[in-house]
Amino acid sequence: MRSYFGLFKMSFKGEIQYRTKALSGIMTQLFWGFMYVYLYTAFMGGKIIDGFSISQMATYIWLGQAFFAMRYISLPQNCGAEISNGNVCYKFVRPVNIYDQWFAEHLGQKLSATILRFAPIILISMLLPNNIGLSLPASFTSFLLFLIALMLGCLMAVTLSMLAIFITFKTLSAKGSITIVNTITMLLGGMCIPLPLMPIGVQNVLSWLPFRYISDLPSRIYIGNIGTTDALIQIGISFAWLVALIILGKILMKKALKNTVIQGG
Amino acid sequence: MEKIIKFSGICKEFKIYQRKKGTKGIFNLFKRDKKIVHALKEVSFEIEEGDIVGYIGPNGAGKSTTIKIMSGILVPTKGTCEILGYNPWKDRKKYVKNIGVVFGQRSQLWWDVPVVDSFELLKDIYNIPNDEYKQTLKLLVSTLKLEDILNRPLRQLSLGQKMKCELAGSLLHRPKILFLDEPTIGLDAVTKLTVRDFIKYINKEWGTTVILTTHDMSDIDALTNKIILIGRGQLLYNGSFSAIRHKYENIKTIEVEFKKEYETLQVDGYEVISHNKNMAVLKNLPTIQFNTKEFISEIGKNYEVVDFSIKSMSVDEILARLYSDYEIVGG
Repeated sequence: MRSYFGLFKMSFKGEIQYRTKALSGIMTQLFWGFMYVYLYTAFMGGKIIDGFSISQMATYIWLGQAFFAMRYISLPQNCGAEISNGNVCYKFVRPVNIYDQWFAEHLGQKLSATILRFAPIILISMLLPNNIGLSLPASFTSFLLFLIALMLGCLMAVTLSMLAIFITFKTLSAKGSITIVNTITMLLGGMCIPLPLMPIGVQNVLSWLPFRYISDLPSRIYIGNIGTTDALIQIGISFAWLVALIILGKILMKKALKNTVIQGG
Repeated sequence: MEKIIKFSGICKEFKIYQRKKGTKGIFNLFKRDKKIVHALKEVSFEIEEGDIVGYIGPNGAGKSTTIKIMSGILVPTKGTCEILGYNPWKDRKKYVKNIGVVFGQRSQLWWDVPVVDSFELLKDIYNIPNDEYKQTLKLLVSTLKLEDILNRPLRQLSLGQKMKCELAGSLLHRPKILFLDEPTIGLDAVTKLTVRDFIKYINKEWGTTVILTTHDMSDIDALTNKIILIGRGQLLYNGSFSAIRHKYENIKTIEVEFKKEYETLQVDGYEVISHNKNMAVLKNLPTIQFNTKEFISEIGKNYEVVDFSIKSMSVDEILARLYSDYEIVGG
């Protein structure tokens, strides 16, 4: 456990050095936030759709943007390069589980990236007028449940990133595998179009998939779109998905590593 | 001494896909030519505890493949390997605690943090007790002269400094076996000597078994007398370097300068390598034992000699000769 915590700390420290990167991230997220809020305000035309009001929509969007860094699918730092240039071989000669090692590194990286970015976005969006800005949580309970769901969502994103590593082993292209997994996750997880704005049929299908637990569930708990009992059930389901995906990821990784060939002198 | 590495009947095959050149390469979309490359063919050897063994062979011989199998990175296609009582790829996690690995062309330390932070993390990864870590680090820092570079990020260090840090990093947990894949590649003379001295020191003080691959025969000369020669994936020789050296030492190259020009040149027991006007280069046939006195009398029978010089084969030449005798050429 000590070794994984060490790896977590190391990548946390590594990522926190990149302040300019964080600043540009904040600018980008603010831009997207405004764009989405105005876009969907125009779409909704002042109506409440399935109990989803304009101000709730704005809050949903801003939460999505503020915690974007922990939801975006990427690979642990240097991981893509390590796989294609063969440095990954050093991962094998250490007495740690390779999946867990990457998991710890990636979690550290995602959390420090989020810590550098979320506060300014939250602050700015809270100062905005009510119908385009971030509102306060529906209740204290929903805020607590939101925090739990947020953490689970972060873990879910890390887990899906692990699947991207598996694809990288097959294709040797980090960029390609990130794009595949990221596009699927963003679209099916409601990070482009809020799930409540999608047709009921599509919503029903997507509610069976794990992607919505990353961003959609925490945001909807926050705005009170999902009641306490329902929220607890959904958190339970998201936990079950997490366990299942970790097991799947470990099996796939084991298979990929078995066939790995480190080429060259 | 106990045999700690038992490597028997190891084969490793790689599948490679060949591409057609030029525009014909488009057809690779539909059909790829598969080719099986035999990187290792039935390689067997044993290594004793406390040895330094040089693992040599031309480029592409299978040296790195062997090191990777021994360090649990690659799984062989066939054969068994037992090191310290473990199977390197099946008991990987338990096994790798006992080994240190340095790949000369790769880095195991973290790129953008001070070297000492990387060491601290390795301490956590290997679960090294605090006292032991401090003691080992102190020793490594003083023998490798790392005092000034410990607090600098790896990316700012020179190749030699990096290699010294890599070595230190691979030894923090005091492994029983150290695998070094081309540890002196690209290093300057001083650093090379420091690295060699250090390897010898570790071997003597800690009793660490060292297996190293190298193309620099002076490494072998300085470190060990035990070599394993491999070529085209096959084990060719396993034994002492001096025996091989002795075999080739007898062959001398003699440069001769004559008083006048001779049309033809023939000396019994010697091969004429080149002959130009009044200069010639000769080599004794392996069948005769070279002796200066006999050479002078033999050549003096028919030719008038002004000057001559005798050269023995250098270590590199011996190796090149060895490779050509075994008909293995680098690839």
